[in-house]
Amino acid sequence: MIAFASLSIVLVASALWTIAARKPVYSVVALLVHFAALAGLYLTLGAEFLAVIQIIVYSGAILMLFLFVIALLSSGVAPFSVGPDRMPKAALPATVIAVIGLGLLLAGLLHAPPPSPAAPAVAGVAAGPVGAPGVFGSVAEIGRALFTTYLLPFEITAFILVVAIVGVLALAGDAGTARGTLRRAERVRRAAREAIMRGGE
Amino acid sequence: MTQYVALSAVLFFIGVVGVMLRRNPLVMLMSIELMWNAANILFVAFARTWLNDAGQVFAFLVITVAAAEAAIGLAIVVVVFRDARHVDVDEARILKG
Amino acid sequence: MIRHVMGIEGTYPLLLVVWLAPLVGAICCGFAGPVLKRGAGWLASASVGVTFVAALLSWADATAVRDGAVGAHQALFAWTHGIRFGLLLDPLALVWVLVITGVGFLIHLYSIGYMAGDRLFARFFAYMNLFVFAMLTLVLSDDFVGLLIGWGLVGLASYLLIGFWFERPSAVAAARKAFVINVVGDVAIMLAIFIMIARIGSAGFGDVFAAAPSLGNALFPICIFLFIGAAAKSAQVPLHTWLPDAMEGPTPVSALIHAATMVTAGVYLVARCAPLWNASSDAQLLVGTVGGLTALLGAILGTSQWDIKRILAYSTMSQIGYMIMGVGVGAYAAGVAHFLMHAFFKALLFLGAGIVIHTLAGEQDIRRMGGLRQRMPLAFWGMLAGVLAICGIPGFSGFFSKDAVIQGALDHGHPWLYGTGIVAAGITAYYMFRMFLVAFAGEFRGSLPPARLGFHPEVHAVHGHDEAEHPPAWIMGAPVALLTIPSVAAGWIMAGRPSPWERLMSLQFAVPAHLHAPLPEAATSALVLVMVAAGIGIAWVRYGGHRSAEEAADRLRAEAAGMPAILRTAFYFDVAIDALIVRPAQALGTFAARVLEPHVVDGTVREVVHVTRWFGDAVRSFQTGLVRAYVVVVVAGVACVLLYYVLVGGMTR
Repeated sequence: MIAFASLSIVLVASALWTIAARKPVYSVVALLVHFAALAGLYLTLGAEFLAVIQIIVYSGAILMLFLFVIALLSSGVAPFSVGPDRMPKAALPATVIAVIGLGLLLAGLLHAPPPSPAAPAVAGVAAGPVGAPGVFGSVAEIGRALFTTYLLPFEITAFILVVAIVGVLALAGDAGTARGTLRRAERVRRAAREAIMRGGE
Repeated sequence: MTQYVALSAVLFFIGVVGVMLRRNPLVMLMSIELMWNAANILFVAFARTWLNDAGQVFAFLVITVAAAEAAIGLAIVVVVFRDARHVDVDEARILKG
Repeated sequence: MIRHVMGIEGTYPLLLVVWLAPLVGAICCGFAGPVLKRGAGWLASASVGVTFVAALLSWADATAVRDGAVGAHQALFAWTHGIRFGLLLDPLALVWVLVITGVGFLIHLYSIGYMAGDRLFARFFAYMNLFVFAMLTLVLSDDFVGLLIGWGLVGLASYLLIGFWFERPSAVAAARKAFVINVVGDVAIMLAIFIMIARIGSAGFGDVFAAAPSLGNALFPICIFLFIGAAAKSAQVPLHTWLPDAMEGPTPVSALIHAATMVTAGVYLVARCAPLWNASSDAQLLVGTVGGLTALLGAILGTSQWDIKRILAYSTMSQIGYMIMGVGVGAYAAGVAHFLMHAFFKALLFLGAGIVIHTLAGEQDIRRMGGLRQRMPLAFWGMLAGVLAICGIPGFSGFFSKDAVIQGALDHGHPWLYGTGIVAAGITAYYMFRMFLVAFAGEFRGSLPPARLGFHPEVHAVHGHDEAEHPPAWIMGAPVALLTIPSVAAGWIMAGRPSPWERLMSLQFAVPAHLHAPLPEAATSALVLVMVAAGIGIAWVRYGGHRSAEEAADRLRAEAAGMPAILRTAFYFDVAIDALIVRPAQALGTFAARVLEPHVVDGTVREVVHVTRWFGDAVRSFQTGLVRAYVVVVVAGVACVLLYYVLVGGMTR
């Protein structure tokens, strides 16, 4: 219980800081803390494998990706300056709608009739080493499920990853082509021009 | 059980508010990550309740898909805002009209 | 439903020949005109002649009687709603067929000479044959719908022929006027047919007449509508205004259509529907009164005309009034007899007038004639015979039939119509002799300056006096000569007791049992003769005698100048129709063109466009292009879905 309470406080606070931070880098850091607390929460729920995956993939890969993009976008541009706000009065109604949605979701989820479990449960909670088979949440168990019962979703997800890679390459990966070279050259020239102009102010 | 549901809902809507109110595309993407993870909490919590691995398996798959989505989303952000004056979602108004 | 068929059922190939031969002629002349050239006239005349012969050969079939059915019935085919087409040739139809084809044949021959040299020669004969076919359809049909088809086709043929010289705007206007007034009649007959089919389920003659006693309060409307149709076609008051203008057509057209046959279609209709009138004495009174009134009015108006064809037009109107009066009051045999005699002498008068017009190179005003006796002896004697016949001089054909009609009015209990008929007979004699004397007696006035006769110099130069005058060809003279014979002698079929005419007509019409005749026929004839003599006397005093051309011209000019307005404007009928119907219709058209069309119709379309565009603009305001706005909308939508599930979907219990 204490674990849950403290972890949830951290989770909510870090989430709030993520969306409210002024600089994007601060948001990334907050998100990092969020993910760490999330991994802890998974541990309390007996999902050891998932907790580790959370750290490795989310904190390790995705957040790094965010940082790289922040770095990339910061080059040559006044970092993250913003233009005029085109929806000035959006804050209040947006928040109201979100709160209403939250309330409805809570009402629905909390008062809903308890659904029945979909598949037969595994006997017993994790009472053994993590890697042992037959233990709930263990690596062996998850692995066995992934490669037998849920093989199709697994393969499809792999396919999604391939699609993502190809998509990213197609979208942003023309650095090696002539067009990319031209663009980089153009960008350098423009940055130099702006620096000269700003230098004159 | 109920506390996990409540936690999940609250985190989800914090993400929603973040997407609605922030103008930086990267922060918006991070808010979307918050929403993914809120759903994951639900998956894992229910897996624990019923002692069914399926929830964890799907949470794993969700993480994978979220990674793919983040990759593509970031690629798009890079392409759109590489040469922009402001990294501001409101500046991308080509769909107006 | 038991069908009542009038006439003996059977297959009558001759009857089909009678009906279809003119159609063949029309098609040939119409489409092979350039090939046939002058031969079109002979072909058309031959087709009508063949029809006449075939009709004569069908006499026995037409007068056959079996089990109460009279005549020949040839069924054709069935249509819808109980309408069946067939041909019926009974004594009534036979009389009409023989007149149409017999007199028509002579007029076709005459036209070969009259229309010689016309650019559209073959087309003329195609139209004439079409008319004959249409008229035959009308009289041979055994069903009101078939009759209506013939009715409409006859109207069409009349329109085509009145406006035959279509380069003349006056002819076009006259054709249109005739057609429009006839359409009024067409619609009336259609309404009558609607009532018939609604009440009885059929429009066949047999069925309708069998159901006549049981129609109740639907009988009078049917009779009224049928009579309106008859009045429009037969130029009865107040639908008569088209007939004088219809004289714009060539004279053979006037002779055939507007004297002998088409205008008598109304008489045929009334005579055919005898069972209906017999069942409704109110309708009989109406028909008889309108007939008598028209007879009188036509006669009065005939006294004021100067165009020879218009005089004859008004006399046609007046004589048809007699016929209508006759068949209206119930004297069917008398009315049909007058139709027969009138066909002869009216065609004779028109053809004779045509010779005069043709010889004088298009002159139609009798003030410019005079002294034609020596120049055109054939026309003189022919028209004299016709004038004597129409006046009802004893021994001539008109005497028998007209007196029979007038006596019939008295016999059936209409003393006022009796008096009207007698007075109109006197006026008829007056104006016919006026026409005859002014045109033929005295000296020729055509060479006098127009002002002397009372014309404005530029007016009335329509017919062109450039052509040289030439005597008529024999082909025009022969029909005139031939027509004098029945005009003089045909009346004798009504002589004797029982006369051959009565015996024929008794097959068709039941003779009513109770007829009170306050005055014997001899007294009627004497009264009529007195009036006729008075009329001729007055005309002789005014127009007869030998006067020089100048003196006659002065007298005529004085008469024209002193003519009262009510006669000059033909009792203001045209003025009234123009004010009451034509002007409002034109105003409606102008209103539609200036107001409805641009504002209502176009305006509606424009407003639809505006609204659609406005709506599009309004919806477009959603498309801000801002991602955040879209996100808000998505979230709101999710909230709505959640709301639905919470409230309705059973997410909470």
